[in-house]
Amino acid sequence: MEALLMPIIETRALRKTFRSVVRGEGLAGAVGALFSRQYEEKVAVEDVNMSVEAGELVGYIGPNGAGKSTTIKMLTGILVPTSGTIEVAGIVPYEKRRQNARNIGVVFGQRSQLYWDLPLRESFELLRAIYRVPLDRYRKNLAHFVQILDLDRFMATPVRQLSLGERMRGDFAAALLHDPKIVYLDEPTIGLDVVAKEAIRTFIADINKRLGTTVILTTHDLADVERLCRRIILIDEGTVIYDGKLERLRDEYGTHRTLVVNLKDPQPDFELSGVEIEHGEPPIVKLRFDRRSTTAEALIRRVTERYAVTDVAIEEPEMEEIVRRIYLEGYQKPAVRAPGA
Amino acid sequence: MREAIEPYVQFALKAMAREATYRFEVFTSIGSLAVRVYLLRVVWVALYARNAAPHGVPLHTIITYSAVALLMGLILDIDQTSLLHDKLHDGSIVVDFMKPISVPLYLFADGTGEVLFHAALIVPSLALALLIVHIDVPSAAVFGAFAVSFLLGYFVGFFLNFILNCVAFWTLEISAVQLIMTWVTDLLGGQIVPLLFFPAGLQQAIFALPFAAMFSTPLLIYIGEIPPERYAEVMGLQVFWIVALGLIATAIWRAGARRVVVQGG
Repeated sequence: MEALLMPIIETRALRKTFRSVVRGEGLAGAVGALFSRQYEEKVAVEDVNMSVEAGELVGYIGPNGAGKSTTIKMLTGILVPTSGTIEVAGIVPYEKRRQNARNIGVVFGQRSQLYWDLPLRESFELLRAIYRVPLDRYRKNLAHFVQILDLDRFMATPVRQLSLGERMRGDFAAALLHDPKIVYLDEPTIGLDVVAKEAIRTFIADINKRLGTTVILTTHDLADVERLCRRIILIDEGTVIYDGKLERLRDEYGTHRTLVVNLKDPQPDFELSGVEIEHGEPPIVKLRFDRRSTTAEALIRRVTERYAVTDVAIEEPEMEEIVRRIYLEGYQKPAVRAPGA
Repeated sequence: MREAIEPYVQFALKAMAREATYRFEVFTSIGSLAVRVYLLRVVWVALYARNAAPHGVPLHTIITYSAVALLMGLILDIDQTSLLHDKLHDGSIVVDFMKPISVPLYLFADGTGEVLFHAALIVPSLALALLIVHIDVPSAAVFGAFAVSFLLGYFVGFFLNFILNCVAFWTLEISAVQLIMTWVTDLLGGQIVPLLFFPAGLQQAIFALPFAAMFSTPLLIYIGEIPPERYAEVMGLQVFWIVALGLIATAIWRAGARRVVVQGG
């Protein structure tokens, strides 16, 4: 089974630069740009190396403008890289765009592939013809998606009349009707309410697990990542700055925890050495501590020795916060590993 | 083979279904056609009262010409590739490039479906027009030649529209160019005023343009102004324009699509 060990997606030193017109300020600049054009090179993707095995579910995350969408576009074959190599399921996407298209499914949170004026059902029929899905296969897949995505109620509704949540469910079915080996999900939960988000997440986990579909998930909602991805690739300024397990990132970066202490009486001049103190709604104080230098147990003991306490809780570092720190400060692999962490 | 064509047949069918959902537009287009047939009859009757049969074209012929021109307009006035402009404008063209299809063929199929739906409106429109004016019917042979020439004219129009919509690859906005195009086609296409009425010196030049190949050529065949011995010549010119515009359209499409794949749209 050597084939299984081959990565299904592989990029080497992938780079993409765009040329954009430099425009002066205001109306004069706009008019000037009509006549003489000056261009500037903008690097969207600097150097992306990624290797994804079949069946993986990878979170591809990074701040706005980091190069996520550009990478996805190159993977789908609609954008030609400036340099570097790229291979998806054994195909160079931009050389064989249409052949590559048969292997992939794409869902954009902000852009639908459904046909606006037509009932949902007719969009599916059109996609069946486009991807040449055999009829029995189509019926089986559709029946399955209708059931788990609960599409029945609006199969006959024109897409333009669907709510965002309904449309997204329709888009997911549309992207998967032809049993793609790989799906690219570009912010699939954006703008959805909590219930709809959860439905979509369950669906993504299910297709990955049950069908073995390789999933590349781009998102700003880190709850998506925490719920779904074992591995994340973090990109910033066009370069991969972290590639590995989500937990490892949390271990390395989430060195601080917070002990939330509910005091018996308010203590405006609460003091304790070696921790950052933040006063919450009295009588609550929050103690941020480095779990490499102290343990929660020791800290609780020190607090209860000096103050009357009614309750304590420990807050784990939010993924959100970890990633925010990395976006702001850049990723540095911590030099000191946590002893016994 | 059948599998390769099926998506495009489906695109055409869905485009027809889509057009059918705009029912109000259907009724207004038939209604406005009847009004325009009536107005043109009034105008031509008034003009002919002063000047009987200019250039030897009798009143019943010119009314036939106008009515058939308006019916042809049900098809030829449609910008069947406006979808391209819309998709470039909102960026949704990238979704089509992510599908295993030929995007220009998709646009062609969609446009054809749209046109076929509107072609079906010719029947009720014709019935309505016949209540207002008398339309001469030529011999079967002449009508056959008209039909072929009309089809050729359709392709000339298709490529003109396609080229125009491709401009949106660079500018995104094409309404100004479209407006100019509409004026030029109205004036030089022969839909409203037969090109026979233009000054003789100008006629040669105008007849050589692609706009005349859309309306004027089939219409002049219909009313018998172009005799059978000239069919090969005029239809040859139509074919020339189809080939020439087809080549331009291919080149401009390639350049535009390249822009999308290099510049990301």
